[in-house]
Amino acid sequence: MSAPVHVALEMDQSWRYAAPAAMARFCAGLKERRIEALRCGGCGRRYLPPRPVCGNCHLPLADWVPVADEGRLEAWTVVHVPILDPRTGRMREAPYGMGLVRLDGADTTLNHFLAQSDPARLAIGQRVRAVWREQLAGAIDDIRHFEVLA
Amino acid sequence: MIRESAIRIPFRYAAGGAGSRFLAALRDERRILGARCDGCRRVFAPLRSFCSSCGASPLEEIALGPGGRVEAWTARADGTVFALVRLDGADTALLHRLVGLPGEPRRGMRVRARFAAERRASILDIAGFEPEEGASA
Amino acid sequence: MNPVAIVGTGQTRHARARDDASQAELVREAAARALEDAAIEPRDIDAVVIANMELFEGRAWPELWVGEAAFAAGKPCVKVATGGTSGTSGCIAGIHQVASGLFDIVLVVGFEKHSEGHTQTGMTLTDPYWDRAVASGAVGNFALSVSQYMAERGTTERQAAQVAVKARRNAARNPYAHLQMPALTVEEVLASKPLAHPLRMLDMCPQSDGACAIVVASGTRARKLNPRPAWVRAAATRHEQPFIGDIERRLATMRTLREAAREAYAGAGIGNPLKELDVAEIYEPVSYAELAWYEALGFCEEGQAGRLIEEGVTEMGGELPVNPSGGVLSTNPVGASGVIRVAEAALQIHGRGGERQVDGVRTALATGYGVYAWADAIVLADRP
Repeated sequence: MSAPVHVALEMDQSWRYAAPAAMARFCAGLKERRIEALRCGGCGRRYLPPRPVCGNCHLPLADWVPVADEGRLEAWTVVHVPILDPRTGRMREAPYGMGLVRLDGADTTLNHFLAQSDPARLAIGQRVRAVWREQLAGAIDDIRHFEVLA
Repeated sequence: MIRESAIRIPFRYAAGGAGSRFLAALRDERRILGARCDGCRRVFAPLRSFCSSCGASPLEEIALGPGGRVEAWTARADGTVFALVRLDGADTALLHRLVGLPGEPRRGMRVRARFAAERRASILDIAGFEPEEGASA
Repeated sequence: MNPVAIVGTGQTRHARARDDASQAELVREAAARALEDAAIEPRDIDAVVIANMELFEGRAWPELWVGEAAFAAGKPCVKVATGGTSGTSGCIAGIHQVASGLFDIVLVVGFEKHSEGHTQTGMTLTDPYWDRAVASGAVGNFALSVSQYMAERGTTERQAAQVAVKARRNAARNPYAHLQMPALTVEEVLASKPLAHPLRMLDMCPQSDGACAIVVASGTRARKLNPRPAWVRAAATRHEQPFIGDIERRLATMRTLREAAREAYAGAGIGNPLKELDVAEIYEPVSYAELAWYEALGFCEEGQAGRLIEEGVTEMGGELPVNPSGGVLSTNPVGASGVIRVAEAALQIHGRGGERQVDGVRTALATGYGVYAWADAIVLADRP
């Protein structure tokens, strides 16, 4: 029996993803601080993120509706585990607040960061508002995080 | 619209029982180990813990080569030549590099393992397979 | 559907890191034990199903590299990869292959070697336009759902900790389990390291290296191979919409598991699962999830899950023991975890549960859970 041998290596991974048309339009809107959802003509559900088809009705989605950058906190947590950012490979520092936010005008919730990371100051039902970055790149993290409104 | 991203992910793979023994033998003994299945009468390269044909386990450990024959080869644009080498005593071929070639390799040519001076329990402890003395390339 | 039964099971010793074995050797360890348990030879196997989340190990085509370890060389072999349900979905694939009449004996093997890769990163490699920018991994996702579930049901941290204690106490009677903590207390769980509010270290499953295999056989073969085959009475699976925010109050509603269980109970003729099931092996990656599953699986009314754990209903001596194996909270090689659920449920019907055997098991439930996107439910019984 030999001592166990290991092969240790670091693999570089890179990706290049084409956006679905609906997502491309959504991201273009973010560059102008505009949030839009797609409404299903069958069930009426307003989807964020936008997508080609309603998963419940199987109908194509084409009806764009405006969504506010404010909403209701539907779920929250404070994460204490650092995580490798899958886009950059850098560690994201902990702790940080995470929430599910139902933006006014949307029926699905959006998972995003919260400015607040003190559990004592977070509660389901709080009103929250997007804090936008100065430089907008047309990505969902053009919103830096959501802050709790007084 | 296109989004690009890049990330580096660390991995650490266990060679396991047979793999560790195979790699340690390259490093410590400069020997290439294979496995013989008594049931199938086949000899596999490299060493493995069970028979790829009938599933039997454990298998008998035997030393292969270090000489063998080139079964197939290909050359990359940068000149690196890869080959399937059937080591003496083995029924399966090992994928590796051909080195020290005086010219273009040929199918069936005799080759011999050249071990690296610095060995670290890696398949590259075999630096490559070079033409056996007296073999015509 | 032709009668199908599970006639043999086998699993490895599970651990944080199985440095002594390669992926293939780990698979072989489980596969060989399953063959021995079913008293069959490699040549008896008609086809093989492999369950594994290859992104976690960063190794392409696991069905190629470990297939021959599962006796698949020269035979039909496919891979199933559906997150946490990989194992249960793999079992269902094997069940369907036999039920269709295509094959008589199928070997299903699930494995994972979390120690070799980077599971958290693998889990965040989701939608590049949306999720990757705001990913918080499995723990963060669970915590978000748990916050809603607690608020809605009034579940306490103490009730969840009782689930965590039950799992580790049961695992101490299972020689294969990864975490062995027979004397763990509720206080210790509540004092363990915070991961993502309100989840603590001991509320979560570990990451394990391990493999598990089952032998699925047609009715005719099953009767010859096992004196008490675990007959598949029903198997159901459900898929979900893709984004975390698509599902309304996930843990509280749990449409996938609820629907899969409803279909499986209907197929097996089960009206009152708490009374009619003798044991359940459910996929609970976090303590709170087990409580939510009690409701989704119809073990109790909504809001009554806390009472079930407090009153010991799901303890080893209770009315419906849940996870005598110690569950996912004690052992979690993801690709294998679902196979372990099915194997442990089958083991209980075979009467081969050793120290974790529940007396007189005739009907058993196994479930799978893959993030929020998939759920499986399988009912096994001592009669076809």
